[in-house]
Amino acid sequence: MKKIAIGGGQGFWGDSPDAAIHMIRNADIQYMGCDYLAELTLSIMAKQQLKDPSKGFAPDFQTRILKEAGKEAWQKNIRICTNAGGMNVTGCVDGIKNWAEGEDMKGYKIGYVLGDNIKDKIPQLLADGWTFPNFDYDGNFEDIVDKIYNCNVYIGHEGIEGCLEQGADVVITGRAADSALFLAPLKYEFGWAADDWDNLARGIMVGHMLECGGQGAGGNFMYDWRSVPRMDELGFPIAEVTEDTLEVTKAPDCGGLISEQSVKEQFLYEVHDPANYWTPDVDVDISQATITQVGDNRVRVGGIKGKKRPDTLKLCVGYHKGWKTVSMLSFAWPDAYEKAQYCAEVIMKKMQRRGMKADDIHISYIGLNSLHLGVADMSEEALKNLNECVLRIAVFSEDKSECAKIIPEISPLQLNGPPGASFFGGRSHVQEVMALWPTTVPRDVVQVESRILTV
Amino acid sequence: MAEIYLNDIAHGRSGDKGDTSNVCVYARKPEYYKIIEREVTPEKLKAYFGDMVKGEITRYDVPSLGGFNFVMKHALGGGATMSLRLDSLGKSMGSAVMRMKIHVEDGEL
Repeated sequence: MKKIAIGGGQGFWGDSPDAAIHMIRNADIQYMGCDYLAELTLSIMAKQQLKDPSKGFAPDFQTRILKEAGKEAWQKNIRICTNAGGMNVTGCVDGIKNWAEGEDMKGYKIGYVLGDNIKDKIPQLLADGWTFPNFDYDGNFEDIVDKIYNCNVYIGHEGIEGCLEQGADVVITGRAADSALFLAPLKYEFGWAADDWDNLARGIMVGHMLECGGQGAGGNFMYDWRSVPRMDELGFPIAEVTEDTLEVTKAPDCGGLISEQSVKEQFLYEVHDPANYWTPDVDVDISQATITQVGDNRVRVGGIKGKKRPDTLKLCVGYHKGWKTVSMLSFAWPDAYEKAQYCAEVIMKKMQRRGMKADDIHISYIGLNSLHLGVADMSEEALKNLNECVLRIAVFSEDKSECAKIIPEISPLQLNGPPGASFFGGRSHVQEVMALWPTTVPRDVVQVESRILTV
Repeated sequence: MAEIYLNDIAHGRSGDKGDTSNVCVYARKPEYYKIIEREVTPEKLKAYFGDMVKGEITRYDVPSLGGFNFVMKHALGGGATMSLRLDSLGKSMGSAVMRMKIHVEDGEL
């Protein structure tokens, strides 16, 4: 029976390349998917591209993975699909072309997918009466139109499959949905029909379990992190798919853990309604799914169903929202929290006198409640012998100069405040705050193109 | 009757989409599923988080996996891009849920 093995090579932009390289060298896989794009990544890339038009993608795919093991992947006929193209797919392709020429890889086929960036189409859509309703908040899209950095549609598998059909050895996309990077090769290999919703849903869930890299193989594992072998050599997950079965495993000779619990933790990660997990390709139903250990570092996943894909596509708009500063001061025993708290009061009084107009201020204490906030243990017992505590003050303002007012007020408190205040990490800087406007667009707005460049 | 941390009988993971946080909660043993079903209702979780989660909380039950998915709206102080929180992605929302205290009857564990 035909079996396709596909590996997850990256979980985000900035992830370690080690597992992907190990997988190419040691695992029997035919495909690899490398996800680089989180929700905000495209806005960051768009901003980089504004400053330097040659930027706007994840160069790490070429400089850290292909450079090390890309030629070997090609020789072994392991085809790689990635959304590393970000805002600048052709820029990413150029970098790969230069590398492949340098490696003397004549005949290497670089596929790429265009069409997810619809910024130029926004005025026409507005004129046509499309209102871009925000999923999360009330608000009028017209108010943010002139502050937009990027407008990218989450596109499905079609463009990637188109490149694979034309023989691509590597496929570069922009904002393809993470899971589409994995569905496309499976649909292509098994010849699934465009409305074979159950199988498309299986392909999407393969992607879902693999697109976060190590998190699908024992990373970020709450059940029993101490039981995960060799996190310093953590392997990433591999899915083995046949017409009837779906199993998750990992490469030989690496760390990590594939167990019922480790796969389960990833399975519902960032899912909302398990009976309706919407993707551009299919509405996935995992409300009856099963996950069973069937061997050492091997689980079987079943019961995945699919329903007709949604009529609209998700559009992510990144726009300029304002500015923020984050300031910190550390304090030690005794009374670390009390001193930090008093210091916060002092700073706030000074800022009031300076007339700082903040739209939002968030004060927390690292080592005490900066992560669990309102549910942290603030009992007398917890505070009594606190060894140390770091005051953290974050200020947001739509006006950059208002945010900046707090910056020079922090370090003087080493000499002018409660005892032992220590300033570290240098003066803080005003950082831009970008926001997302999650919405939808009609499917027919997007025209996806699959192109091939042969080295 | 005893008071325990949810963490004693459950495990899971938190994720983010915009300002929405989801936490999946699985029973560490199959027999604990019923306890979680009874003790960790959306209402109780909402009361537990108070001002930290500003929007509604929905629970989706997935008995075939022995777990639940909690979806919490307006839970991340604006979400990854805008949040002023140290943990803007809510990576520790999972352990915050596990820190909730629940009641178990004698003989249930």
